[in-house]
Amino acid sequence: MQPGEHILSNFNTALQELRETTLIMAAGAQRNLQNTINGLLERDKQLCNQAIADDEDEDQLEIQIDSLGLQIIVRFQPVATDLRMVIGAMKTATNLERISDQAVSIAKRSRKMLKNEEVPEVSRIEGLYQVAAGMLADSITAYSDSDIDLALTVVEREKTLKKTHKTTSRFFSEKLETQTGHYRDYLDLVLICRWLDRVGNLATNIAEDVIFETTSADIRHGGELPPELLEGNNKPEASD
Amino acid sequence: MHDMSNELTTLPKATKKKKSSTVIEVDDIGFSYDHGKTETLKGISMTVPKNQVTALIGPSGCGKSTLLRCLNRMNDLIDTAKITRGAIRILGQDIHAADVDAIELRKQVGMVFQKYNPFPKSIYDNVAYGLRIQGVKKKSVLDEAVERSLKSAALWDEAKDRLKDSALGLSGGQQQRLCIARTIAVRPKVILMDEPCSALDPIATAKVEELMLELRRDFTIVIVTHSMQQASRISDNTAFFYLGELIEYGPTTQIFTNPSVKQTEDYISGRFG
Repeated sequence: MQPGEHILSNFNTALQELRETTLIMAAGAQRNLQNTINGLLERDKQLCNQAIADDEDEDQLEIQIDSLGLQIIVRFQPVATDLRMVIGAMKTATNLERISDQAVSIAKRSRKMLKNEEVPEVSRIEGLYQVAAGMLADSITAYSDSDIDLALTVVEREKTLKKTHKTTSRFFSEKLETQTGHYRDYLDLVLICRWLDRVGNLATNIAEDVIFETTSADIRHGGELPPELLEGNNKPEASD
Repeated sequence: MHDMSNELTTLPKATKKKKSSTVIEVDDIGFSYDHGKTETLKGISMTVPKNQVTALIGPSGCGKSTLLRCLNRMNDLIDTAKITRGAIRILGQDIHAADVDAIELRKQVGMVFQKYNPFPKSIYDNVAYGLRIQGVKKKSVLDEAVERSLKSAALWDEAKDRLKDSALGLSGGQQQRLCIARTIAVRPKVILMDEPCSALDPIATAKVEELMLELRRDFTIVIVTHSMQQASRISDNTAFFYLGELIEYGPTTQIFTNPSVKQTEDYISGRFG
């Protein structure tokens, strides 16, 4: 069901502004995560500093999105799809802000690690990063395109994320026990694994909110998608 | 038309606690204002559950007020109007059956109008009016009924010391609540409300809405409203009409969060006029 334009043009404008601001924030969170990992792998302190500094923009965008959402609720009393869209944007903003916070945590640890000699196995982190960053990218695309199919693939990839996190984290934990000379770095890498896992979890939250926004089905915490949506993954047109 | 048969059995928790029985059955009703040449209502079917508030919404001219007025045969007063098909049953009784008297029906199915319309009499006489024309003369019975009705209409505290004053001296919101008291004095089964708050300020509107939520414990209420917020605040079920057809009918929470039909979504979110 694709609703048409509102009679009130400023309602359309307000919703559009909310969505666009959320997408700008999403691009920022993605960039911060990318900068922070590149900073770690390429031993580029500047990129880490960039991610830490840019987090301030994400904080301000979260406040702006909440304010826009509240204004829409007060001025237009949205219902149905509009209401879910406003709530979805505000929740997505919260998740994006947390993702950016994870990027800051990684950047700070990375900056510390750059002071030491490079740990040879640091590139092992890239596999976990690719899974988490892929989930984030797809959840944002799903949000942008209201794509339930893509959102569902993000939710399903949480198992892969867990598995990759466990494997990578265990590898660094073992190194932590045996390579005592670099124990601080390996400890930092274990923590970075945890933060990347968290990024994947937050991307899953965004994907679940996309499904709620598009279909009103709440699949969080084991909730199931209605059968008719599982088959076609599109909201059925109701008959008159 | 969206099938309602299962909708009312899946009401949200707040209204599901008490299993509701049906008070009004509208069965494929057709209605015309011009001797049957054109149908204003086109085969409406719906059921109204007991002790719940059912809101009828839709753009002007969609037939919601016409349907409301069919429920107590108010349209009988229009010479050219006629039911073209179907039946309406209230508590199982066909209201157009030969042995049903329209006046008697209206005692069972009271009505509150858009513009409050107290009689130019005292507050007491307004409330006692219905009982008096039913032949009740005993003062103690009338006194008890006036007090009970005014209390039910949340007007007793404001009116108890001025019962002999003219009803026209009350504020607009008080006059509307007096009309509700007058309606419930004769203990109807159903109260029909046709945009009862459209002439009231927000405070008076809130008082009437609060009153409706209280009254549904004892009465079944059907309300026509143009206010989406009012429908979502006070009703258990909402029916959306468009061009004489019932487009969607279901629990209010579902209609306002996830309507099944695109026309409903477009209307409630202000997408067509």
